[in-house]
Amino acid sequence: MQKAIDTFYKLLELLLIVLLAGMAVMVFLNVVLRYGFNSGINVSDEMSRYFFVWLTFIGAVVTFRENSHVGVETLVSLFGRKGRIICMILSNIVVIAVSAIFFWGTWKQSPINASMAAPVTGISMLWVYGIGYFTGAGVVLIALERLVRLLTGRVTEEEIAAFAGENMTLEQLAERT
Amino acid sequence: MTLVVFIVSLLGAMAIGVPVAFSLMFCGVVLMWYMGMFNTQIIAQNMIAGADTFTLLAIPFFILAGELMNAGGLSRRIIDFAIACVGHIRGGLGIVAIMAAVIMASISGSAAADTAALAAILIPMMAKAGYNVPRSAGLIAAGGVIAPVIPPSMAFIVFGVAANVSITQLFMAGIVPGLIMGIALVATWLLVVRKDDIQPLPRTPMKERVGATGRALWALGMPVIILGGIKAGVVTPTEAAVVAAVYALFVGMVIYRELKPRDLPGVILQAAKTTAVIMFLVCAALVSSWLITAANIPSEITGFISPLIDRPTLLMFVIMLVVLVVGTALDLTPTILILTPVLMPIIKQAGIDPVYFGVLFIMNTCIGLLTPPVGVVLNVVSGVGRVPLGKVIVGVTPFLVAQILVLFLLVLFPDIVIVPARWLH
Amino acid sequence: EFNDRNIRVSNGINEDHPVGNGIKAMQACLDQKSGGKLKLTAFWGGALGGDLQATQALRSGVQEAVVTSSSPLVGIIPALGVFDLPFLFANAQEAYTVLDGDFGDMMNEKLEAAGLVNLAYWENGFRNLSNSVRPVTKWEDFEGMKVRVMQNNIFLDTFQNLGANATPMAFGEVFSALETKAIDAQENPYVTIDTSKFFEVQKYVTETNHAYTPFLFLFSKPIFDSYTPEEQAALRECAVVGRDEERKVIQDLNKKSLEKIKEAGLEVNTLSAEEQARIREKSMVVYEKHKAEIGAEVVDAILAKLEEIRK
Ligand code: NA
Ligand code: NA
Repeated sequence: MQKAIDTFYKLLELLLIVLLAGMAVMVFLNVVLRYGFNSGINVSDEMSRYFFVWLTFIGAVVTFRENSHVGVETLVSLFGRKGRIICMILSNIVVIAVSAIFFWGTWKQSPINASMAAPVTGISMLWVYGIGYFTGAGVVLIALERLVRLLTGRVTEEEIAAFAGENMTLEQLAERT
Repeated sequence: MTLVVFIVSLLGAMAIGVPVAFSLMFCGVVLMWYMGMFNTQIIAQNMIAGADTFTLLAIPFFILAGELMNAGGLSRRIIDFAIACVGHIRGGLGIVAIMAAVIMASISGSAAADTAALAAILIPMMAKAGYNVPRSAGLIAAGGVIAPVIPPSMAFIVFGVAANVSITQLFMAGIVPGLIMGIALVATWLLVVRKDDIQPLPRTPMKERVGATGRALWALGMPVIILGGIKAGVVTPTEAAVVAAVYALFVGMVIYRELKPRDLPGVILQAAKTTAVIMFLVCAALVSSWLITAANIPSEITGFISPLIDRPTLLMFVIMLVVLVVGTALDLTPTILILTPVLMPIIKQAGIDPVYFGVLFIMNTCIGLLTPPVGVVLNVVSGVGRVPLGKVIVGVTPFLVAQILVLFLLVLFPDIVIVPARWLH
Repeated sequence: EFNDRNIRVSNGINEDHPVGNGIKAMQACLDQKSGGKLKLTAFWGGALGGDLQATQALRSGVQEAVVTSSSPLVGIIPALGVFDLPFLFANAQEAYTVLDGDFGDMMNEKLEAAGLVNLAYWENGFRNLSNSVRPVTKWEDFEGMKVRVMQNNIFLDTFQNLGANATPMAFGEVFSALETKAIDAQENPYVTIDTSKFFEVQKYVTETNHAYTPFLFLFSKPIFDSYTPEEQAALRECAVVGRDEERKVIQDLNKKSLEKIKEAGLEVNTLSAEEQARIREKSMVVYEKHKAEIGAEVVDAILAKLEEIRK
């Protein structure tokens, strides 16, 4: 099971690489075409924006799993183990609630987005705005699993330290500026 | 009253450790509920529409350019070049640090990445030469936060999009204040080390100096391409960002040959993750910003501070103090995103130049990266340079004071920012 | 039978645009009819999001109203593409007759089916071309010119068909792109060329009148349906009052803006009648290409109506 999950995240990471590289190629190609050949590809402007949306909202789930989202740990880090666990429980409940609302809103908004086509490529906007399903569901699942472990006392010390902002990697610090 | 609901829900969620992006969503939900217009579609639609903006595409590309610059050996050559130029002067390594920081700032937009590269190379060298280590670490931290003030800058892009201000103009307006920050740091450094017993580096022979300059030339070409490209009108800021990334890739792989194809996926992935963290925050902020606007919160605040509206300097002074306080506890991007929709209508009403305000605001949020308890750049220097955080805080103090003084100098004399900005644009 | 209603009206343009005058006139009318109960709160400069985003919010019943040009909405109602067709209306009077008559009503039905109530057709106006390269007086002059257009296939095709290099670009980037010569030209109504200061970075203007785009005063259908019949009637009637004021102001302002553009030293050209006919003839391929997606019956209906008027 764990192996399947890890493979899934590896695939997501691969997707992130493809999306960012794809965006860069499309935008760069348009600069070259416009400056060098006085022409351009109309779809690339629009597609690169959609890649960006997917990158943001798939990446949001991956980075949530890694506890990389920017937080203010000042107060939490003052608490002892018990206080931190209580805050973790409350925090995960808030995250689950707002992500579920995000998912729900995406669902209610779906017919409206499905009935709209992108101006240049003509693809249904549900492909773009539907990413809310993935992000909403992904974050809810990760946070639910954490909540269950918190309530059954199976949370690791590492997670508690990460929650209080301790032992951040350089990459995680870089993501914050 | 809506203002109180906004502040309490946002701070409350952040205090119990909810990540800022989710806290902003939570604050949005609470505001909707309080205003009697609870509707889940407001959250879903505004979140995603936030990322569907071509201008913001500059963010991943500048991040990528910065990552490629570090992985491709460009940073190293910039530091070597600075050593060859000014290393032999008394207190020279400190000047080297600031000179390299300013050059790197004109290539990358990330304070943390620049600081890490500087700290890794320079702190051991400065320790060996007999400099006070915490003070050196503090100087490097203070130099690192120049990055978002000198273009390119993610902070300007985020602010420009949130405040609807020209990013090109912000970029041009940031150059001179960024340089002033650098000069102030050098002056402070020379002041504090004047009595220290330090071993200056031997003067680099002319031949070697030319060599170091030659090796750094490709890296030094990058700011020319970015700023020159935007200024000469070949490219928009978004396109300049992608050109910078491709250039860094070319130099790192073909010229310096330090970047191997197998390193590339890792570099791109890191840039993608950093992008996702920043952008998810931007999107969540657009939800709360929509509700702040719909609820007319800025007019509520204008009511409180109406006596200040006619005194722009005093108003700027008060706002800068507030931002400094907020910046002690909040990182750069969240500070920009939370305060911009609240402050911009007030700035406009007071008739303050939005570009001038943007530059001071960003400078102030950068200073926030150096103020405890939450000062990310302090953590970076402490981690990379292996200096305890408490000592870095002591070491950074004189430089922090210098930057705050520069900030308030610019509040008193707006022309220092406005005149060169007009001239450069 | 009037309730207290706060109607949030989103605008992509700024308050100094004639739409601001229209909204004031509409509010005065509403005050009179509803005894001050129906209140319009206008948001300017895209403060509540872009036009498209706001329109989607209307459809889901999140927000009450938006004043938007028809062009960005073709992804939702393809028939609106008819207003993007090049050289459709010859003058403003033709546009008013068509929009305020049966044809306008037919389009309103299509909007209703998408969850949008169009209270009235306001005016964005005829679009004209400005550039920094050369005077444009015949279609050959478009050759190789880098023209910024909206993200809209009909506009893209219109300019590509004329030999220009049509570049879609966000409105917010246009000024600096023109200034730095990343692009040569843009096309917008005179008022926009003036208020967005494009004339400061351009040398030539040609009165191409290549497209007349209406502004739609759209109301959210889910919200509109929840209002009382009296409130609905007041909104419809006052939107017409606002329309008349807005059209009057924009006509005046167009003249003033043109004067300002001339005073700034730009060379202003017009297309001769023969050249106009030549370009329209050349542009007919764009009509053919987009007829199916707009809806053949829509294109035929408007052309028939125009023929009737022109007799
Ligand atoms: Na920078
Ligand atoms: Na701080």
